[in-house]
Amino acid sequence: MSKQALRPNISGDNKSSGNRMILRWSWREIWQGQLWPVMAALTLIVACVVALSALAIRVEKVMTDQGRSMMAADLVFRSANPTPEFILQRAHDQNLVLSSQVRFQTMAFSDTGMQLVSVKSVESNYPLRGELLFNGADNQIHNQVKSGEVWIAERLLSLLELSIGDVIAIGDAELPISGVIESEPELAFNPFRTMPSVFIHQSDLDKTGAIQLGSRVQYRTLFKGEDSAISLLQSDYELQAGERWISEETQGRTADLMQKAKQYLSLTILMVILMASVTLVLTCQHYATSRANTVAMLKSMGASKQWLKRWLLSQVGLMFFTGVVAGSLIGLGLELLLRIPLAGILPENLPSYGWQPFAFGSVVALFIGLPALGIPLLRLLDTPAIAVLQSQMTAPSKKGLWLIAVPVVAFLFMYGNNSLVWMVSVGLVVLFVLLAGISYGLVHLFGRFKWGAAMTLALSRIKRSPKNSMMQLAALSGSLMLVAVIWLVRTDLLGDWQQTLPPDAPNVFAMNIAPYEQQEYLQKLDNENLDRSEGYPIVRGRLTEINGESTKEKMKGEGQGSEALRREINFTWRDALPVHNEVTAGEWRSSNGVSVEQDVANDLGIEIGDTLSFSVNSQSFSAVVNSIRIVDWQSMKPNFYFIFTPDVIAELPATWLVSFKIDDNENTLLNQLARDYPTVSLLDFRTMGGKIQAMLAQITWSLSVLAGLGVVSGVLLIFTLLRLSLYQRQREITLYRTLGASRQRISQTLWSEYGVMALAAGFVAVMGAEAIVFSLVKWGFKLEPTLHIGMWIVLPLLAMMIVFMSLVSVIKQLLKPLK
Amino acid sequence: MTVAIKVSSVGKSVLSNEAELTILKDISFEVQSGQSVAIVGTSGAGKSTLMTLLAGLDIPTSGDIKLLGQSLSQLDDEARAQIRSESIGFVFQSFLLIPSLTALENVTLPAILRGEGEDIAKAKQLLESVGLSGRETHLPSQLSGGEQQRVALARAFMTQPRILFADEPTGNLDQSTAEHIIELLFEMNQKHGTTLVLITHDPKLAQRCERTLTINAGQINEEVKGG
Repeated sequence: MSKQALRPNISGDNKSSGNRMILRWSWREIWQGQLWPVMAALTLIVACVVALSALAIRVEKVMTDQGRSMMAADLVFRSANPTPEFILQRAHDQNLVLSSQVRFQTMAFSDTGMQLVSVKSVESNYPLRGELLFNGADNQIHNQVKSGEVWIAERLLSLLELSIGDVIAIGDAELPISGVIESEPELAFNPFRTMPSVFIHQSDLDKTGAIQLGSRVQYRTLFKGEDSAISLLQSDYELQAGERWISEETQGRTADLMQKAKQYLSLTILMVILMASVTLVLTCQHYATSRANTVAMLKSMGASKQWLKRWLLSQVGLMFFTGVVAGSLIGLGLELLLRIPLAGILPENLPSYGWQPFAFGSVVALFIGLPALGIPLLRLLDTPAIAVLQSQMTAPSKKGLWLIAVPVVAFLFMYGNNSLVWMVSVGLVVLFVLLAGISYGLVHLFGRFKWGAAMTLALSRIKRSPKNSMMQLAALSGSLMLVAVIWLVRTDLLGDWQQTLPPDAPNVFAMNIAPYEQQEYLQKLDNENLDRSEGYPIVRGRLTEINGESTKEKMKGEGQGSEALRREINFTWRDALPVHNEVTAGEWRSSNGVSVEQDVANDLGIEIGDTLSFSVNSQSFSAVVNSIRIVDWQSMKPNFYFIFTPDVIAELPATWLVSFKIDDNENTLLNQLARDYPTVSLLDFRTMGGKIQAMLAQITWSLSVLAGLGVVSGVLLIFTLLRLSLYQRQREITLYRTLGASRQRISQTLWSEYGVMALAAGFVAVMGAEAIVFSLVKWGFKLEPTLHIGMWIVLPLLAMMIVFMSLVSVIKQLLKPLK
Repeated sequence: MTVAIKVSSVGKSVLSNEAELTILKDISFEVQSGQSVAIVGTSGAGKSTLMTLLAGLDIPTSGDIKLLGQSLSQLDDEARAQIRSESIGFVFQSFLLIPSLTALENVTLPAILRGEGEDIAKAKQLLESVGLSGRETHLPSQLSGGEQQRVALARAFMTQPRILFADEPTGNLDQSTAEHIIELLFEMNQKHGTTLVLITHDPKLAQRCERTLTINAGQINEEVKGG
């Protein structure tokens, strides 16, 4: 049957003339023709991905830099022994900058007193990141420690009755005080472990006599350099017992903030991509359907399949290229705009985002575009020529379905390990199926009631084309759902962080308040109308036995519990547990009891009902474990491993602790308190608290801006979808108009139809969003989930508003009669 | 005189609602080169189906059609498309111009499909011959129905087809425009010596043709003309 005739050989000139014409044609199709909605969707994908990922890269770099500033380096090696030569050599090989540090506690002496201090012996190049600020005798600011210098915490001056320039003995070394510490990058956050700080130079370390056999000294080496070199250094060395790497991802409270913020960033980008993909798929299908007649006509005029492929490929190629260029430029512009609200927070010299966002945008557009365009276009090529004279009913083809594998494989590759993304994806699929059915059911339910003519027409139209209506409904509710998820997760994350470190969190801890001073001290704070905590009695002691067994063996472990065994820790007693400690097992009783912190209990194998023995000033006593609780060590509240019932230790000598909040300009008050109560230790966290607050503000803004962009892109995409749906109805609507239907009747019908769809989609979206956000917050971010009542009103309203805007923008065109 | 189209015992059936529907039954006729033939009949008689078979857009269920000496049943899709690009011209009822191409570019399209270059001079000449000189750069949306059909006519003659198929060429036009188009159609037909096969409801158009074939209940009758 097949006798393939040969086409004549085509000369080069003719071919290029023909190609030029095809290109011209393609260009016009993109800007004036049927390819415009596809082009718009593609450009939007690229723009959103470029803007989001550019901003995300910048924000991530800034957060990383912040975290590293607070570490004074890019990476720290910590050990009880000097840093192994292997690591130092490798670091030199990688061209990393090094700075060594030794930390220890020792006594500081003056003529009139002595004080336990925390000493940092550093090199001249310290810190490698962040800022060190000393205020010298000359009232000048100094940024490094030189040989022979000693810089001390300001309160040490009053504690030891010294002035700048006086000689202070640090261990065995006698050095003149060079000045006071204004701020230092590495700030410990546990008030109980903070002794007054002292900085000396590495060359003076030996003079102090602190490094002896058996002395408890901590060795740190700080590293700075390229990220790849830093990672290589870590992976090259196998840690021994007692050794640890510290990075911005593992360090303290900022690590948790950053980890969650980074997760949120990648999730937002993914959800925007998902929404844009839906729009692209629908616009591509619409385009292919609209081209069927043209393809049939071209085939009837003798166009070969080869020619048709060239024609389609040139359109797609040109569109893709233009979309990537236009989208990248718009994305850049968007990113610039987005930086405006962050201007006060981002540093002046912003890290460059490099080529990654553009590459990412192009790749995403390609991977989604391939199946979105490829599948309908492959099927378009099969349009029979006969269709030019007679419309054909063709069975749905499976051609090209394999192209779906492209984005699916890419998705698995990029996000295969990301549990949050899986939660969203699986949630979306399940919810789409369930909720599409529910929303369709809702529409049928509406249909049971008696409505006006316009509403009845609208409902019957939705029912008449179920597949179409379902797809539109699913796309609309899916997009709304993702928009809501982006916003709600941001709100929940920020809400949690604000709780941990609210702006009104206490920033001063007063410790070692003598029992006879306690009432007076608290009264003084109240007289100044300061926000303060309750007073906590503090008794220092050790845990010695668990159910009669000595804890000596367990001291050697690595966990929290073992660490707690190695030193004296702070006990307190209370009538009731603090509200900020969540009880996970047991129940607080009023006598002979002790409540244990969860990590310590897990580490030491402590259970409810166990008898624990303690020693305070060589006095022993026991208590029965009545409850286990979770302590949020990140919060600025007094927290304890062990809390006793009053009967157990209330009689023991105790000092008192209270925390309160003062403003930045209330130094006089603080100094007055220090003078009036010289034995009370005041720990001023305003600077560090300020730093954390600043970082939190930065992350809050960044997430809000990103979330805002995600929401705006989602809304734009939904808007595009709706307009497309309306244009598809154009012939039908203008036919009604030509047949004499009034503008009012048609308007009402359209408003009713799309209004019903928007309302149904809005409610379905909010149900889906609550479900997805619940699982993300609870199992992904490990926080307490909440219900978002406001969203139940806002989302349907948003849906209606978008419908309103879409209709308004096209209704004039739709109501013109046919020529 | 050579035979341009030879139809031998052609039948066409389709499956509709799981039942076989016979559209054309045992049709045989010949069209000589240069002749003009009108195919008339009531709605649903099978006129469009016959035209799709004659033009090689579809193949018959039974029988054979020879188009310019080549048996269409023995050719695949691509081969039939090639015959169309080399020898066939089309004029459609709904013009089917490409909206984003100018009048000139629409006319050059068939040549581009054949792999030839854009013959601007020839296209301009054709537009002039249909009375549209000066409208080369206009898009279809800027032309009236009649003007669009004239562009379609010019396009159909771009590749100097040996056979021109026209499906209700005046169906969407008012009477005065339709008459003008008919004049142009036959003028160009005579000028290029093309065989003309057209479907029409327009009795005036049918009368202008040398032969009229009437399709009724899937079978064909020829109306004999006096003179």
